[in-house]
Amino acid sequence: MFSKQKPLWGKKKKLKSSYDVVLIGGGLHNLATAYYLAKEHGITDIAIIEKNYIGYGGAGRNTAIVRANQRTQHNVPLYKEALDLWPVLTKELDFNLMFNNCGNLNLLHSEAAMKAARMTIATAQFHGVESHLIDAKEAKKLVPSLNISDDITFPIHGAMFHPPGGIVRHDAVVWGLAKGAAQYGAEIHQQTEALAIGTKDGKVTSVTTSEGVINTKQVLISAGAYSAGLISGMLGIKLPISVLTIQAMVTQPLKPLLNHVVSSGAYHCYANQTLKGEIATGAHMDPWPNYTTLSTAHFIKHQAEALSEFLPCLKGLRFMRIWGGLADMTPDMAPILDGNDQFEGFFMNCGWGYFGFKSCSVAGKYMAEFMATNKCPDILKPFALKRYEEHKLMGETAALVNYSPDN
Amino acid sequence: MNRLNALPTLQIDPSRKISFIYRNKQYYGVEGDTVATALYSNGIRIFARSLKYHRPRGIYSLDGECSNTCMEVDGIPNVRCENTLLKDGMIVKEQNVVGSLENDRMSFIDKIDWMMPAGFYYSTMHKPAKIWPIAMKQIRKVAGLGVLSPEFKMTGKYDEIFPTADVCVIGGGPAGMSAALEASDKGLRVILLESRSVLGGFFEYRSHEYKEGQSYHDRAKELSAQVEGAEKIRVFTNASMIGTYNNNLVTGFQIGGKNDSFDERYMEIRAISVIVATGCIERPLLFENNERPGIMQMGCALRMAHTYGLVPGDTAVFSIGHDLGIETAICLHDLGVKIACVADIRKSGQASKLVAQLTERNIPFLTGWVATKAHGKKHIKKVTLATLEGRQPTNYDCDLLVASAGLTPLTSGITVAKGTVKYDGHTGCFLPDKMPAKMYAAGRIMGFDDALSIESSGRLAGCRAALDCEACSTTELSDAKNQLDGLPDPAAGCKLVIAPVEGRKSFICFDEDTTIKNINQAIEKGFDVPELIKRFTSAGTGPGQGGIPGHNLPLYVAKYQGMSDVSIRSTNVRPPVIPTLIATYAGSNHSMFKRTPMDEMQRNDGGIFRNIGVWQRARYFSSDLSCKNEIENVRSNVGILDGSTLGKFRIFGPDAVKALERVFVSDISKIKEGRIKYSAMCNDDGCVIDDGVLIKQGENDYYFTTSTGRAGSTIEWIRYHTRYDDWDFHMVNLTDSMGVINLSGPNARKVLEKIVDIDMSNTAFGFSEYKEFQLDSTIPVRCMRLGFVGELSYELHVPSSYMKTVWLMLGEAGKEYNIQNFGVEAQNVLRMEKCHIILGQESEQRTNLLDVGLGFLWNRNKTEAKTVGAVALRQAENDQTRLKLVAFKMENKGRAPRDGALIVDKKVRGYICTARDSFTLKEGVGMALVEGDLSKNGTRLEIYEDECGDDRIYGEVVPMPLYDPKGIRMKM
Repeated sequence: MFSKQKPLWGKKKKLKSSYDVVLIGGGLHNLATAYYLAKEHGITDIAIIEKNYIGYGGAGRNTAIVRANQRTQHNVPLYKEALDLWPVLTKELDFNLMFNNCGNLNLLHSEAAMKAARMTIATAQFHGVESHLIDAKEAKKLVPSLNISDDITFPIHGAMFHPPGGIVRHDAVVWGLAKGAAQYGAEIHQQTEALAIGTKDGKVTSVTTSEGVINTKQVLISAGAYSAGLISGMLGIKLPISVLTIQAMVTQPLKPLLNHVVSSGAYHCYANQTLKGEIATGAHMDPWPNYTTLSTAHFIKHQAEALSEFLPCLKGLRFMRIWGGLADMTPDMAPILDGNDQFEGFFMNCGWGYFGFKSCSVAGKYMAEFMATNKCPDILKPFALKRYEEHKLMGETAALVNYSPDN
Repeated sequence: MNRLNALPTLQIDPSRKISFIYRNKQYYGVEGDTVATALYSNGIRIFARSLKYHRPRGIYSLDGECSNTCMEVDGIPNVRCENTLLKDGMIVKEQNVVGSLENDRMSFIDKIDWMMPAGFYYSTMHKPAKIWPIAMKQIRKVAGLGVLSPEFKMTGKYDEIFPTADVCVIGGGPAGMSAALEASDKGLRVILLESRSVLGGFFEYRSHEYKEGQSYHDRAKELSAQVEGAEKIRVFTNASMIGTYNNNLVTGFQIGGKNDSFDERYMEIRAISVIVATGCIERPLLFENNERPGIMQMGCALRMAHTYGLVPGDTAVFSIGHDLGIETAICLHDLGVKIACVADIRKSGQASKLVAQLTERNIPFLTGWVATKAHGKKHIKKVTLATLEGRQPTNYDCDLLVASAGLTPLTSGITVAKGTVKYDGHTGCFLPDKMPAKMYAAGRIMGFDDALSIESSGRLAGCRAALDCEACSTTELSDAKNQLDGLPDPAAGCKLVIAPVEGRKSFICFDEDTTIKNINQAIEKGFDVPELIKRFTSAGTGPGQGGIPGHNLPLYVAKYQGMSDVSIRSTNVRPPVIPTLIATYAGSNHSMFKRTPMDEMQRNDGGIFRNIGVWQRARYFSSDLSCKNEIENVRSNVGILDGSTLGKFRIFGPDAVKALERVFVSDISKIKEGRIKYSAMCNDDGCVIDDGVLIKQGENDYYFTTSTGRAGSTIEWIRYHTRYDDWDFHMVNLTDSMGVINLSGPNARKVLEKIVDIDMSNTAFGFSEYKEFQLDSTIPVRCMRLGFVGELSYELHVPSSYMKTVWLMLGEAGKEYNIQNFGVEAQNVLRMEKCHIILGQESEQRTNLLDVGLGFLWNRNKTEAKTVGAVALRQAENDQTRLKLVAFKMENKGRAPRDGALIVDKKVRGYICTARDSFTLKEGVGMALVEGDLSKNGTRLEIYEDECGDDRIYGEVVPMPLYDPKGIRMKM
């Protein structure tokens, strides 16, 4: 800590004319993929192409919540492994990712929600993930500021308590993975835009960037919400993805008040306290697809209305900052991880919606395996694109969703 | 402390004392004081301790751009005392100290700053891993400023208003007032927002000459009198803009005064045009210990004296880069402050009049000099001045240092609406560049320094806004333009970014204790753009919303990297641009559930209500949540249920059938009048999204129901799926205008017969039939014989206004049978026993029409219209891997599993949708969704419940329905 400062992810290098692997998008998923390609598979001739700066997109715009209480058995093991990786990565990268496993408390406001939670909890427990259904009084013990009276819009019936979840410092993950990948020799090219992917006879041959053409046999697009547009524009592959703005905000910093992540589906609101002391809160997406990260007046008002009901003491706090990010939503709330299908050497990792942060490490790990071996790991098989053609959705949400402009 | 009380600019009334409590002791301020000025008048100089290093902090800007005066007031943490008006009885406490503000035991951290380079926490405290949880606890304790009690209860009234205007002017200074007057003169409705308690802005507190015989203060008064006299200008003082959005939506909040009915109110203003006249703040001067108590900005020192009557020091040194500093020095001198030296960063360009006034007063004046270091532990004692190159360091004793690099525009009103700013090499400021549509800048924000130019630019903006509202001619506009063109352009500004120092204790962000050294460290680590540096060093992310580092950070980064002027970009500012209470945003916070016509009566009958979608409905009618009595009463007698939340629609017109055929899976053309058709709608994946019944009322005229949850989106759904067809049909949503009564049970007919005139016998009005009749020759009723709960059952659709009457009639008629209410939970159990599904309960995203056993509804041979979802259904027809809905009974008459329990073997194979210990069947039964190979009758289901550990319970797949398989009871 006392030594002279060195660039974390290496000095700027000139783009070469060929790489073994090109990763489009300088976000968490590609940084993780690069890290694991190098560390686990010895593939180090990697270029990460980023139009802005690393962590510009969803990586820096999420609220850093991690958990493994998803609904289906395809997802739970994936997120469980991701959860287990935070301490491992902290050590491997020698970078403090500040994992605060404070536990997630998901408030339930109706009998129907209790039933849905019970299924999720049973699924978690069946897979060895700790998660419990608790009643309102027990929830109040965990979060003393909770309003469990009946006189609010959505009285609290109980909660799903998931102790191993928590929050991770999101920027640290970006910088730590960048550092890790760069140490193995992966190159990070910021302010470089990917413009086209060249193919011949159904195989990937090159990537054209704003800084020149790269010859390569393997390319992975994982550019968060921009992925669907890039994949469609560059290769004509249409994905069932709708991009929506999702907003989050923080209050002024405060001494410890909330010791858990608290969320509520009925109120469309979650809140947790960052290590800096701010209450970070956010919720659902704007109900119309768009690619802007504009915040709206009504969203922050809605959050205030919600928080002032179930955490009434927060009325005395001040909001300080709201920002928007993009969520790439698929019809079944599960991502698309695929490769060597439409074009040999073309891989994609997108459609994570608002789950992209918590999954980045594990998605990178298995995409790296996929690319290195050209064999799809079993754990990723259910996430192939073809499930939509077959109308076999994954059921990550119970309710039917529709993100198109008509609804 | 004695106040200056003869100044015309004073906003206080020294004769009216206000008492408050600070640190458990009673203090007095005067009316018009802010909490901070009241404390200052009582000798308090340290108002806060900084976040990381616990350095003492004092009054610096008076406008709340940093957390320097954040204290706890009446239980609310992080209150910016410098612009919070003092009220009688306020309880003020310090925050983030161990000990007292004077002697904070945490202040030793300031000496070990070398242990904490930028981002140090990322490279420490994780080795070995087990120290992290301990370290984290400590970090949490030291982080954060104020304390909020979990039991804290907000008092006061929080309101909200949503006014509209032709023109909204943000900022009540000379430019804003001129703009407002111009627009109102042209007949427009204007809203003017001013964050301070009086209009006048930059003119208001200055006694210097505006023109011969008139001071700036006089001019401000003159303008504000005109504004307040203008009928079409609605003035909001103490009202701060917090956000500007697309299509000129402006949000803000107003703090209520003594005579207002609110403490704070949220404001949302929709205007055709918006004028941003928010003026300038000051750019902090960067030098060592630049935030010691006793160091103030120019405007702050002047307002302390002129507005609050407080002498800000005995001996003052000035290190400034703008004429306002010289003016302030002169004013303070004339009020009795000894001015040891005025050091102007600028080597030339000062107004000669002001320089002459300095000379007249024998005030030492240096040009090309700057403060390099402040001395003194808790308060400034002396300052080192040096040339811009760092030569000739000279110490001056003082207890007040007025330090400011100059003025810098407050452009957040423009940038949060996605307008842009651009660095201007002449003024050294970020000036408005691309403006959002129908938004204009006016005044000092554009770099203007000359009083007449400022007012004139306001009038020009007023004309531009009026043009948007079609209330201004192009001649008037060009006249206004010409007038401004004839006035002085913006003056050259001070461009010094940092005094010649190393920067270890030069704070670029006060809130986060970020020093120049930290910025250097971040850049060396590869964080090369301001936005990344902000994330890595936290600079600009504190309670002051980046007001202090906002412009210095990009300027310093550019300087460090040797960038050209054009490539300097400021970081993003985000709403709310002023920290805003959650209570204020929430406003009156009303909930808006829909209530059925029977709401009140059902509550009086002991109904226990629950939120269901947009409605509130009675779920139970006793504290027995198993609903035994309600269920048994329906099975053996007669029950009555309010089903008014059902979606109800009429669709008619020549192409109505086609539209229905498109969205419903059945053949609608075959529906006969007088018969009921049950059908379902699917989405493109074949998933059932809705079910309900259809009735043919006449040729091309249908009435149909949907589930409660879908009622709001049904019309949109049908329109969307027929959007390319140019079909002629109309839809009416009757959900709210019709109520529904469900009368069920073996005695239902006997009850109904008593109040209707028609033949209700099973032959005349059979199962699945529909009749219309009138009650008492007055009330029109649509009556359907359905069997959702599996008993003889009538569903009466009645105009909402008659619902109570019909309900009372049925109650009267049913008295002899002891008719009873039943609620949603009893209905849920009754229909489950009959294996009638509820969408969302027995279906989900992965299940389609076929999976839930409704395949018989699908007409595969429909000709005219393609059916939404048909393609997917065809694909899925022979797929055995899908989830299927089954009925099951528990083994050995065991208890029913809890809803949501899993069906497992080595993997998860399905789950329980609804299961209950059936009072009717005397055993545990339910419905489950299971993978295809588990769906055969007789299959043993292994059930895994939450918290079951290694224990399992077992059920067996049985034929549907569970109750009354032949359907005798609903057809009786």
